[in-house]
Amino acid sequence: MNRSLTKVLGFALPWSLTFLFVWLFPLVYALVMGFTDYNLLRPDEAKWVGFQNYSTLLADPDFINAIKNTFIFVLGTIPATTIMALIMALLVNRSFKGRGLFRSAYFLPSITSLVVISLIFTNLYQRGGYIAQLASMIGITVPEYGFLYDNATALYSIMAMDVWMSVGYYMLIFLAGLKSIPDELYEVAEISGVGYFRKLFSITLPLLKPVALFILVINTIKSFQVFVEIFVMSKGKFDTMTMVYFIYEKGFTTTLQSGYASAAAYILFIIIAVFSIIQFFLLRRKEPLW
Amino acid sequence: MVKSPIRAISKYFLLLAMLTVMVFPLAWMFRVALMPVGSSVSFDALFESALTLDAFRALFAGTNTLKYLFNSIVVGVVVVLGNILFCFMTAYGLARFKSIINKPLFISVIIVLMIPSHILIIPLYLLSFKVGIYDTIWALILPWLVNPIGIFLVKQYIENLPTSMEEAARIDGASEFRILFQIVMPLCKPALAVLAIQVFFTNWNSFLFPYILTSKDSLKTLPVGLAHLQGHQAIDWQQLMAGSSLAVLPVLILFVIMQRHIVSGITAGAIKQ
Repeated sequence: MNRSLTKVLGFALPWSLTFLFVWLFPLVYALVMGFTDYNLLRPDEAKWVGFQNYSTLLADPDFINAIKNTFIFVLGTIPATTIMALIMALLVNRSFKGRGLFRSAYFLPSITSLVVISLIFTNLYQRGGYIAQLASMIGITVPEYGFLYDNATALYSIMAMDVWMSVGYYMLIFLAGLKSIPDELYEVAEISGVGYFRKLFSITLPLLKPVALFILVINTIKSFQVFVEIFVMSKGKFDTMTMVYFIYEKGFTTTLQSGYASAAAYILFIIIAVFSIIQFFLLRRKEPLW
Repeated sequence: MVKSPIRAISKYFLLLAMLTVMVFPLAWMFRVALMPVGSSVSFDALFESALTLDAFRALFAGTNTLKYLFNSIVVGVVVVLGNILFCFMTAYGLARFKSIINKPLFISVIIVLMIPSHILIIPLYLLSFKVGIYDTIWALILPWLVNPIGIFLVKQYIENLPTSMEEAARIDGASEFRILFQIVMPLCKPALAVLAIQVFFTNWNSFLFPYILTSKDSLKTLPVGLAHLQGHQAIDWQQLMAGSSLAVLPVLILFVIMQRHIVSGITAGAIKQ
């Protein structure tokens, strides 16, 4: 018994060190720092301030705005991404000529660097850029300095790019879900002469619910952390400040308020943790959810 | 399976329309990268502009982009090798030996899967200072040498392997290390290939932590370098897109070669039940 304990400890040593130093310690460190006025410019003068950072944050209009934008981002992109990914998956599920090509092409943006994608769309969205030109051709008024330099359009333009970018990834997960539906169900339906939409609504969609749920939750956790797009495309200006960008800005630029930024990080952590816990319990349920 | 030709045609039409939307931005990137430096990047330029490698030459001459590319490759290779070794070791330990520490270790894996890493930027930054790896190549490597999804994936794979070969080797007196590397590891090749690709893509495209944990220009990886070049007056869109192409091409080539592993890697993580 003791010999296998030393063996497990030995084999898992690199993971244990990573867990302690890269995850657990920083997680606790951030929690503690969130209760202090730690500032990178004068780290020696840090003192305990209790919940002051939290109360200041909840009264900070910039932070409230960052929460609002983050929720707009999450609630706006996820339904669009999920529905389009599902339609894509249904279209490329059955075998036909060129299916592999379509699948690969739809998936390609998912493995492309987010910095690169953000740079490409910065170019496409700018005044005189391709998307701006197309938009004005179909009668949409382009803001004077392009889509990313206007309070009304910047965030939504970034959201549209995000849907474009992630839809192929979730298509693949839907495809794996479709593959796990037994063929017999469709065969029986076909023998009874059931039409396409009836099969879709009575067999396919109900059996895809666990996969759809999984997709919703992982996408929610990911989307709450939106940062790179904002960093490259708008630097948080034009009403695109999100929570992680707020944390970055407070902690790493101008005022270097590590304590304040850590408290903001923990509020984000709590929001995401709520979704993670929901995910955990929903995925453990054996019977279908609805 | 599709019965009426009208339905088949409209399906292909829809598929092609989506294909255009999905591929156009990347095609546009390559097209702009091949335009003459200093020309205007506009709607008409798509067809009218000449094809040239000028932007790549200007980029290599005027910036550190080749160094960024080199850094990305070095960090990528080391991190992939580290993950193959360490995820495999941890997974083997957890899958093959029973002890009181197994459950806590497995719980630590699950916890990390659920922690949103972006909230850790400030403590990791400070910690990297304290341990002296800030602004060194180690900051890009050490924290990422083993990852929870990899452990999860390989552990599941090992649990489905028969134990008879290991037991036979043990009876013959083979050391634990020989069993690990000469018997189990070769059997795990498919899972390790999936792991390697997943780690490589994640690492190759990662931006936030490399950006936070280094500041020297000579340590920038390609995504960090590109975001940095964006702000420069002397860098035009042609050069920026040329640099971006360098970041996309390796991924594109790997994707074409190893497509099946990539797809199974993504779905293995997703569909467990």
